[in-house]
Amino acid sequence: MLKVIENMRKIAAILVVLLLMVSIPSLVLADDAEEDQDEQDFDEQSQEQENETQDLEYNETEKEIEIMNNSLGAEIRLLQLEKSILKNILKGEMAVEVLKGLEFNTTALEAILGEMKILLEEVKTANTSSNDSVMIFVELKQEAINYTKQFREKIRELLDDVKLNEIRERIRELASGELHNYSKMIQNRIRQFNRNQLYRLYGIIGETNNSFINEYFNGNITLGQVKLQMCKMINQMSKENRYGVFSEIKEENIKSKIQAKSAVENIHNTGNGKGNGGHN
Amino acid sequence: MNKKITPILLLLIVFVSVTLAYVYFNQPATDEQKYDSSAKDVSDEDLSDEIDDIFLDEDDEIEIGEMV
Repeated sequence: MLKVIENMRKIAAILVVLLLMVSIPSLVLADDAEEDQDEQDFDEQSQEQENETQDLEYNETEKEIEIMNNSLGAEIRLLQLEKSILKNILKGEMAVEVLKGLEFNTTALEAILGEMKILLEEVKTANTSSNDSVMIFVELKQEAINYTKQFREKIRELLDDVKLNEIRERIRELASGELHNYSKMIQNRIRQFNRNQLYRLYGIIGETNNSFINEYFNGNITLGQVKLQMCKMINQMSKENRYGVFSEIKEENIKSKIQAKSAVENIHNTGNGKGNGGHN
Repeated sequence: MNKKITPILLLLIVFVSVTLAYVYFNQPATDEQKYDSSAKDVSDEDLSDEIDDIFLDEDDEIEIGEMV
């Protein structure tokens, strides 16, 4: 009887050991799985965030290239890109000066600024009347975004949030004669572009007011006033004419949007405009 | 005989007038009428949006992100 009880105890002990041996690895596995899940969730979240940012960039680019079906539109976009790159180079140089004063090693940051200067020269020499001007613009803009991102990440490795905010404050009020010249030049080209658009709109309406167009071009009338005047003019038409003009404008706008969308899709499908800021 | 014919005639008149009224109010719109009704759909806001799309804002910029 005693032997039986002892045997039963042994069996119970073995069973307990077995149970422990089975449950501990399964607990470890479960924990690992949870960690993997957390990691996966984090990766998915980052990927999602990156995709959203990229979608926003694509939408913006699409909107920007809508006007690039003629050389004036292409010239405006490339000038605006030049201005944005120049502004970032100047801000970057100011930030580097501040960092040098704080005795930080700025070699990597200066290297990125060097690449941005080369990129700026490329944008300046881009051919606006070329058939590939849209593709050139998308590629160069993407490179500018990538270099800016690289600079931002590098400077974040060097400084804490407080110092970064201090630098942001210092470079916020950036005043540059060169930037001012760009702004003037771009404004002039945009007025030329809008003047052409006004002629087209008058063409749809069926009459022209040259003095009104010149008033806008010379800066005596704002774009807001022009838009308001055109709306008033169309609103005064008969229902049928108003609808006809509206339909024609809408058709033109949709055509430009479709062209821009297909151009961006073509560029991204062929793998262009996604470079990491490297030069060929 | 007359007593039988009168209600039948009345019923016939009612039936014909209902049919005519139905046909009149449900006849398909002509091209001109269709054009008119869609022309009414152009709101000031829609027109203003389309006009906005034609022009380029003078302070428009290309966004490439902040350096810091």
